[in-house]
Amino acid sequence: MTSGHEHAAPERGAILSPRVLLIEDDDSIAAEVVEELTIRGYEVTRASTGIEGLDHACTGQFDLMIVDRMLPELDGLTVIESVRAQRINIPVLVLSALSAVDDRVSGLKAGGDDYLTKPFAMEELAARLEALLRRPTDSRVTTLRVGPLEMDLIDRKVFRSGQEIELLPREFRLLEYMMRRPDTVLTRTMLLEDVWNYRFVPQTNLVDVHIGKLRRKIDQPGEPPLIHSIRGAGFSLRVPT
Amino acid sequence: MSRPDLRLSELFRADLFRTVTFRLTLAFVVAIIAGMALQFGLVYGQMNGYEQQRSTDLLQREAALLVRETPAQLEYEVRERSKTDLRVILNGAALFDMSRNLIAGDIKKWPVGLEVSPRTQRLWDAPPGDTPYEMRYLAVEVEGVQGNRDRILVLARSLHMANELRYITKRAALMSVVPVVAFALMAGIFLSHRALRRVKEMHEAIDRIMDGDLHERLPAGRERDDIERLAVSVNRMLDRLEHLLDEIRDVGNDIAHDLRTPLARVKARLERVSAITNDPTALHGAIERATQDLEQCFSVITALLRIGEIENGRRRAGFAMLDLRELLVGVVDLYEPIAETQDVLLRIAESNRPVPLFGDKDLLNEVLVNLVDNAIKFTPAPGSVDLSVGQEPNGASWLRVADTGIGIAEEERRAVMGRFYRSDKSRHVPGSGLGLSLVSAILRLHGASLEIGAARTNHALPGAVFTIHFPVAATA
Repeated sequence: MTSGHEHAAPERGAILSPRVLLIEDDDSIAAEVVEELTIRGYEVTRASTGIEGLDHACTGQFDLMIVDRMLPELDGLTVIESVRAQRINIPVLVLSALSAVDDRVSGLKAGGDDYLTKPFAMEELAARLEALLRRPTDSRVTTLRVGPLEMDLIDRKVFRSGQEIELLPREFRLLEYMMRRPDTVLTRTMLLEDVWNYRFVPQTNLVDVHIGKLRRKIDQPGEPPLIHSIRGAGFSLRVPT
Repeated sequence: MSRPDLRLSELFRADLFRTVTFRLTLAFVVAIIAGMALQFGLVYGQMNGYEQQRSTDLLQREAALLVRETPAQLEYEVRERSKTDLRVILNGAALFDMSRNLIAGDIKKWPVGLEVSPRTQRLWDAPPGDTPYEMRYLAVEVEGVQGNRDRILVLARSLHMANELRYITKRAALMSVVPVVAFALMAGIFLSHRALRRVKEMHEAIDRIMDGDLHERLPAGRERDDIERLAVSVNRMLDRLEHLLDEIRDVGNDIAHDLRTPLARVKARLERVSAITNDPTALHGAIERATQDLEQCFSVITALLRIGEIENGRRRAGFAMLDLRELLVGVVDLYEPIAETQDVLLRIAESNRPVPLFGDKDLLNEVLVNLVDNAIKFTPAPGSVDLSVGQEPNGASWLRVADTGIGIAEEERRAVMGRFYRSDKSRHVPGSGLGLSLVSAILRLHGASLEIGAARTNHALPGAVFTIHFPVAATA
């Protein structure tokens, strides 16, 4: 996943038209998600109750599941636990109207891989799914490479085309997170949650400032830029073709 | 409107016997009866005891006098008892020989069970064809005509005084219980009626409030009794509720206003966009700006939902022990770049001891981020934002965010924590206006208080100092 060839992959990652199981009882939200994901090239199956969703999850072949926490007949967390008990290890994104920390924790404990609070932006949902489908690089790797960028995780050093770049610890953390997920759209919320461990979005354009500082160090004038802003969504580390 | 009235009056009549006052009265009546029984019992006991003692004393004193007399004189005395003063004191006197045969006197037969003893004895006598009666006897040996002690003097006194006493007390108790109980019941009914009338007035006031008259209050006069105090408390609660309702109404207006402005801009932009047909760059730019305006709307809604969640949830599930110092380090790491770009120095005062606190890390981070975000926004360059934490000698932790910015006027310090408050000075700074109300909601969850002050006086930039005082219990 870290090879320099990665940039040649299509935008939605290695799996062409990934199959998504959406378990959501709210018809209007479900319709919106189905429409959005279909446009983005996903093949979506929708279930409106927990039992129905569990049936689909156990019989069908899916690459990913989106599960609402509050479901009729069978609670979302129970669905996830049952699915996990059957050794079905596809990534699960939990949707919930509650954002309190303990709900988030219980969602992830039950076997969810990521958690999204309603109401959410479609861009955010799409970015999360994309990130879930491309599992980040194995944490045992000691060197990350994306195009001309190379990161030595042991000596905490970063090179671009062999030239060392001095980074502050927080810039290093941010770049490491991005290099583990190349060609993936990373939203501001994802960065705040995963790099800084903050569970909320401040109103100031904080992430943009951090990215701006990092970008000035990584992309020197005259070099092809690696850090891209994705309009309306977030940022992406990508080697230009 | 007529139905609840009808129900209320029916309720009123049926409820007289169910009022607390009336039930208390009944309990009180029972207590009075018990008290009277006890009182009369004690009085009777005392008097009876006294009477018994008196008759014993009389018998013994009389016996002592008679024993000293000569046998002949004694015999005469006993025989003629009914004609002397002795008849007042004694109801019976007789002389018996050692084989219990009558020599003289009016006790015709040796009473069954009587023993010769210096102590008096109570015995029942049952003459044939007559009702049995109780007498107190005393039997002592006296000198006979032969000069040795071969005679027995028996003295008797009836217990009719004691019996009469019992009869009198019983009668007195029964006679007095009726008027006392009647009086207590009357008083109870009167008091219950009064209480019920006041409760009825309150019911009516509550009905009016429920019908929507939120300015109505429960009648609370000058009597400082329980019901009065309750009414005062309820009125205070109503004041608070009315205030909250007003606030919500204001907030509703504010929300509408805060959302209307950006939405109007979005509408205008999109209308203009529809006219652009040939310039993709202009089109994109316009859509981008419209999206940003929508983002502003979203941030307002998200912040409101968040406050609601924190205030309604009151959940402490995320509470754990944490070090306040670490929170400061984290927020400085996040905010340093933006502070640098605005030429504001963001720094932490050196402290070498951890500041432990039992709290929700994510929520406290949100508090800190809001305060630091504000501090940086309202501090013109060049300036500084200083963060510090510490612990009072009593164990209470505190956290302070001090800036060198425009500060908050004293009269505005309370208002800034209300929803949507934007100081006139801050109109140009973007934000939802909900940051500090979010902060105070989170602090309330932690039992902490927020104090707002100024960093320096007599200065164009007085600076704002936000100090959070955590309760002592939050440290342990």
